[in-house]
Amino acid sequence: MTQGAVRSDLAVPNLDIHHPLLPGARDLRDGLLNWRLWSMLGWNDIQQRYRRSAFGPFWITISMAIFIVLLGFIYSKLFHQDIAVYLPYIAIGLITWGFISGTTTESCGVFIENAGIIKQIRLPYSIYTMRMIWRSFIVFLHTAVLMIPIAIFFHMNIGWSALLAIPGMLLVVLNQIWLSIVIGVVATRFRDTVQLVTTAIQISMFVTPIMWPVSAIPDARFIADINPFYHMIQLVRAPLLGEVAAPLSWIVVLVMCVVGYGLAAVALTRAHPKLVYWL
Amino acid sequence: MASIILSNASVEIPVFAVGNNSLKTTLLRKAVGGKFAQTGSNLLINALNDVSIEVRDGERIGLVGQNGAGKTTLLRVLAGVYPPTSGAVQVIGRVSPMFDISLGMSPDSTGIENIKVCGALWGLSRAEIAAGIDDIVEFTELGDYLKIPVRTYSAGMLLRLSFAIATLRQPEILLLDEVIGVGDASFMVKAKARLKEVVSRAQILVVSSHSESIIRDLCEKVIWLDKGSVAAFGAVDDVLAAYNASV
Repeated sequence: MTQGAVRSDLAVPNLDIHHPLLPGARDLRDGLLNWRLWSMLGWNDIQQRYRRSAFGPFWITISMAIFIVLLGFIYSKLFHQDIAVYLPYIAIGLITWGFISGTTTESCGVFIENAGIIKQIRLPYSIYTMRMIWRSFIVFLHTAVLMIPIAIFFHMNIGWSALLAIPGMLLVVLNQIWLSIVIGVVATRFRDTVQLVTTAIQISMFVTPIMWPVSAIPDARFIADINPFYHMIQLVRAPLLGEVAAPLSWIVVLVMCVVGYGLAAVALTRAHPKLVYWL
Repeated sequence: MASIILSNASVEIPVFAVGNNSLKTTLLRKAVGGKFAQTGSNLLINALNDVSIEVRDGERIGLVGQNGAGKTTLLRVLAGVYPPTSGAVQVIGRVSPMFDISLGMSPDSTGIENIKVCGALWGLSRAEIAAGIDDIVEFTELGDYLKIPVRTYSAGMLLRLSFAIATLRQPEILLLDEVIGVGDASFMVKAKARLKEVVSRAQILVVSSHSESIIRDLCEKVIWLDKGSVAAFGAVDDVLAAYNASV
């Protein structure tokens, strides 16, 4: 089918096999594959945001650096931790959480923001989610670079096993994609979803071991283990701290992804005939 | 061979009653079992009502009707962005929907950058965009302005740029919705010529306009939409006469 050739889902072409999830799965595939478009749109968003500001996108880096340093100093005293151990711990947590919280919150508005395009040009809906994910990932990279001076300054023990943080982060990104799609569809239909998501994220930031180590609270093991965000952050944090993420963490995030993409396909299938009329 | 077939296509747009687009309220209702505030029924706007039309390769169709008759809705159904809530639509061919021609424009990006982003949105490949940039530079006569942010452009300059980008694509099916507004005399002459050239390259044209001269100039058949239904579909002169008589 040439790009732009339009065939309504309700038309009756002869050889279509009708699987209930087919429209959603197709949307996912076509959207994810069209990386040229969503990467260009996402990059353009970054340029728009920072073109007229001093420091440009490095403002993101600077503000995260200030946040890490301040929290690192204050909370290391509060928890009676050695700052050389605590600051890298909180830094990785905050940087990774920045991506998770940012994408989760922004996922609510992706279709609403792109309403103009949706009502004119037929494109897979997942493209708009990917646009947001890509620009959030670029923002994440601007904060991730802070780990370099932190690692040097605090003499972090970075060995080859630290490279495991890369597939770890990749899984985090993959996870956020399906989650963002599901939330985006729900949030377009129910316009107060963003309030609920924002509150849930704020609560999660304190409930998840980001600013406090699991060891600080004796009964925290259970609270941490039932928290999917904890496992996601561990996949990135553990390798960089010279530890190995528990197999449980890998299993939880992998299972979430498998189930999650199924949910995303369902969400997109249900969205397709109706979403544009919700805008 | 491009073609458009609409079979009993209807579009009903919901307007949600208070509480019906609130997740909190919906969940509460499920939990409390309906005692928590009655569900108001949603309003359903009948934007298109049982429309059956067939457009064949080579046809140029005008679309007339009062404001709110459903012309934009019909065009969006043809563009594939409004799935009919009942009935069916089958559109075969590469569709170029020209509704908002400044789609995708970013004020702080330069003219050239906007060409790349808007071009990509319109479905042009990088090669097609690269090949088209010279054409755009020449048509818009914007010169060095293309290298600075478009927020500095006047409305006319913006129109020239959007129009040039939107008309780069080789459409098989061209859908126009009241496209040209602001524009100086010399641009209107150039734009008309370019539009005619684009139209001539299209296999099917559907153009919605309040201007009778544009319709007569471009089309040989006209659809008259009245309150979401097809009041008439036939030769230009006949339908326009009927439409004008009804006003």
